[in-house]
Amino acid sequence: MALLTPQRERSTPATEEKNSLGYRTKIILRHPATLLGVLLLLVFGYLIVAPVISLLLGAVQVGFGDEAKAGAGAGSLTGYYLDRVFSSPVSDIIFYTPLLNTLWISLCSMVIALALGVPVAWLLVRTDLPARRWFSSALIVPYMLPAWTFALAWTTIFRNRSNAGQQGWMETLGWEPPNWLAYGPVPIIVIFSLHFTPFVILLVTNALKNLPGQLDEAARICGASSQQRWWRITLPLLRPALLSAATLMFAKAIGEFGVAYVLGLPAGFQVLSTTLHQSISTQQSGIAAVIAAVMVGLGGISLLVDLRFLREAKRFTTLNGKATLTKTQPLARWRTPALVMVGGLFTISVLIPLGTLVLSTIMRVPGDFSLQNFTADYWIGHDLPTVGFSQGVLVSAATWRAMWNTLWMVGLAALCTGLLGLLVGYVVVRSPLRQLGTALRVITFMPYLVPGLAFAVAYLSLFAVPRGPIPALYGTATILILIMIADEMPFASRAGVSAMMQLGLESEEAAQSLGAKFSYRLRTVVLPMVRSSLASATLLPFVSGVQGLSLVIILATPGTELMTTLSMTLIDFGYTHAANAVVVLICAIALLGTWATQKLFRSNLADSLG
Amino acid sequence: MEPMITLRGLGKTYSGNHTPSVDSVDLEVQLGEFLCLLGPSGCGKSTTLRMIAGLEHPSTGQIVVGGTVFDDVAGGQCVPAERRSLGLVFQNYALWPHLNVKENVGFAPRVQKLSKAERATLVDQALQTLAISELAERYPGELSGGQQQRVAIARTLAARPQVMLLDEPLSNLDARLRLEMRAEFQRLHRQTGNTMVFVTHDQFEAMTLATRIVVMDQGRIQQVGTPSEIYDSPANRFVAEFMGSPPMNIIELGHNQAADTWMKSRDSAATSLGIRPEDLEITTTPTPGKFSLPVTVSALLPTGGSWIIELTDGQQRYFATSQQRPALTEGQQVQAVAQKLHLFDASGQRRTNVEAVAA
Ligand SMILES: Nc1ncnc2c1ncn2[C@@H]1O[C@H](COP(=O)(O)OP(=O)(O)O)[C@@H](O)[C@H]1O
Ligand SMILES: [Mg+2]
Repeated sequence: MALLTPQRERSTPATEEKNSLGYRTKIILRHPATLLGVLLLLVFGYLIVAPVISLLLGAVQVGFGDEAKAGAGAGSLTGYYLDRVFSSPVSDIIFYTPLLNTLWISLCSMVIALALGVPVAWLLVRTDLPARRWFSSALIVPYMLPAWTFALAWTTIFRNRSNAGQQGWMETLGWEPPNWLAYGPVPIIVIFSLHFTPFVILLVTNALKNLPGQLDEAARICGASSQQRWWRITLPLLRPALLSAATLMFAKAIGEFGVAYVLGLPAGFQVLSTTLHQSISTQQSGIAAVIAAVMVGLGGISLLVDLRFLREAKRFTTLNGKATLTKTQPLARWRTPALVMVGGLFTISVLIPLGTLVLSTIMRVPGDFSLQNFTADYWIGHDLPTVGFSQGVLVSAATWRAMWNTLWMVGLAALCTGLLGLLVGYVVVRSPLRQLGTALRVITFMPYLVPGLAFAVAYLSLFAVPRGPIPALYGTATILILIMIADEMPFASRAGVSAMMQLGLESEEAAQSLGAKFSYRLRTVVLPMVRSSLASATLLPFVSGVQGLSLVIILATPGTELMTTLSMTLIDFGYTHAANAVVVLICAIALLGTWATQKLFRSNLADSLG
Repeated sequence: MEPMITLRGLGKTYSGNHTPSVDSVDLEVQLGEFLCLLGPSGCGKSTTLRMIAGLEHPSTGQIVVGGTVFDDVAGGQCVPAERRSLGLVFQNYALWPHLNVKENVGFAPRVQKLSKAERATLVDQALQTLAISELAERYPGELSGGQQQRVAIARTLAARPQVMLLDEPLSNLDARLRLEMRAEFQRLHRQTGNTMVFVTHDQFEAMTLATRIVVMDQGRIQQVGTPSEIYDSPANRFVAEFMGSPPMNIIELGHNQAADTWMKSRDSAATSLGIRPEDLEITTTPTPGKFSLPVTVSALLPTGGSWIIELTDGQQRYFATSQQRPALTEGQQVQAVAQKLHLFDASGQRRTNVEAVAA
């Protein structure tokens, strides 16, 4: 010690402070997570922040062609669009009515989904309901499928004469459904509810399973009845899960486009997403930007609410011990009614919609159940009596092209998403600069708030023309893949963060202290250890990408037709059989993908929904 | 000789914390030493160890190992963890579940780009040293806790580190295995001659293993010394009370008549005195010239080979130990005679060079 001390210069506090700043900077700069984080920030700045900003700017900047109306040059600031949307004679039609419709429809379906989902989840986890394991997978099916699938099934059954095209089943059977049943808010609420119920079931089942069984048992020992235990112990502990489910559903309901498009428009029933679509398709991009901004704002509010509850949930998890198996409660004489209820939910939410869709593709006249009415022509026939799509779905080159496009584009996007998500997780967990991780988390979450349609519009305006070194991307597969990556990042980065958290620091630190450099330990230790999370972080975006519609509907061109856009094209042409057949194929891919995820990686879907 | 590890003014305050987790630690570890960092949980042992390993970065101070400056906050110098060639054994072993035992142990030789033959020799040697050659093909998930522990040590050994750092390596094992592994560590240290820094909160582990013990509390070093120095002449009340079980009997002066009388005119600076339970001898009459407390036997607690005698003087409890069954009954009035006394001043420091014990 005596040897070394004199070498150290006596330094004043001020220089010491400066030097220790140098030391800290050095550590931050040299940490691999720093460089990685900065690179990721650049990537997401390009894929997410730039489009979102350009979208929001569109609301207060004069667009090309609007110079006369706004009385200012293109690009200058204006309140014209805000004025037009919020306080003009057309405000009611283009904004306030759709806004109100969106709000009350979301609220209604949220309440119904909770009312249905919570009891069912309880039945599935805590009672001796027959076949509960089977039901707990089967009831999730609607969540795996695009919501507008159910809208199509609904119109197939309840369509009436107020709209052109094929007749509905009810009509053929001799009963004309009234307008309120065929179109508008009632069917939309029913379908939203059915679509969201599985989501509630998933989250609540998971939360129930993670509640330590001792809590319930402790209450039982104190002499609480089963009702008291439910209201006093279980439900309060579930509150974070319930509120989180509610806010997430709300955010999803705001952005959902396909259902309102299929069921709302024929009755002139508008919600925000359909007015947004309308203003986009009538080239009123300034108005579209304002409406999109409002939707982003609504999403933001629900996110803030969710974050608050997440914090609350964290307080609860500290008392969360190892989840133990709780004894199931015998239902006794309620067993049959409960089974009927759960079975009924399965019938209404899975059997009837999917059955209807499948049947509708093999019946010449809808709703006619006589044997000679059935045919396989729409699947494998040639020379059908239609103008545009004269071959069966399975033999038409258009289907296979769309299928191939879907598989490779969505597949590639999903793989990139999964990897990027893990890298974000790495930076969040490892970076010595906490702000870097926070920034990445916030940015990758933004697409969740932006409705797919609006996001697509932003991509279109930003990447349709060449910018700098980047060529014009409209009509290419690249733009579709990029937007799909961006759109799935909220899920992927959450999955990545939780995978890295689970991995913990020590595995990598062990490799580091044994002398392994960053890239080597990433390759030999980190990636192999999170490979199952990577797989599920890839497959789930794949499943949801396959069924995505609003994101791609204005970006896909005939050259880059996907399954979903193909089915919408077919609907627009009135080829219901073919459209439904394509939808059936999409459902098959989605279900297969989900099934594979669960089987191959034993990953729990609910965990990744977070 | 130049020390193997030198810590100078080492401090660490985690971001978001107000108080430092490690506070101006100065320490030298000699080549070949088996040094134990001992202290209650949360006192900053792991943080110190991880800073030496380069996994945490100090807020102040300097770390020098083998003549190389690893960290120097004031000088803005830092060697990354992967270039320190120190072996760290984690509390939870941190074995990689996707690699089998051989691959786990062979990791460092592979990183060091050794030839195949050299790698095989190193791995075999490490496995043999820990007597786990027959586990080579197994995966961590197929091993018991003790076996995983051995693999973790073998993995570190195979890296031929200049220092072995061990963070509570025995705390996850059951009592018997812990005893067995303790002997194993002693053998390992003798066999390899490695410098070892061993973190533990278990005083017995430290007493049996260490050539020197560093007692820490609240991020500060309380005392550095050989096990017997630490036990026989604790530097302050914290060390005195932390070491030993049952703990040292402490008598605050000014409240206890027997003690006050005894201390009067002996050492005016002392404010409390301590007597280890084994230094209390139970007799029926006071021993002249020795400090005696009149007490009542309140309980006799057999602990297997020895006995703990609980005593009371109406104000506080005292413990004494005895190797033979004491010929006492509960409620009996006796004298507890101190064979050795420790004195502490108002700041808790031990009074040295004060012969207050034997007359
Ligand atoms: N990553 C961290 N962030 C903030 N505080 C920490 C962190 N790690 C440890 N601490 C705090 O530093 C103190 C010392 O911790 P540690 O070195 O782990 O103690 P020991 O190993 O002696 O039990 C504790 O009070 C602990 O709460
Ligand atoms: Mg520790």
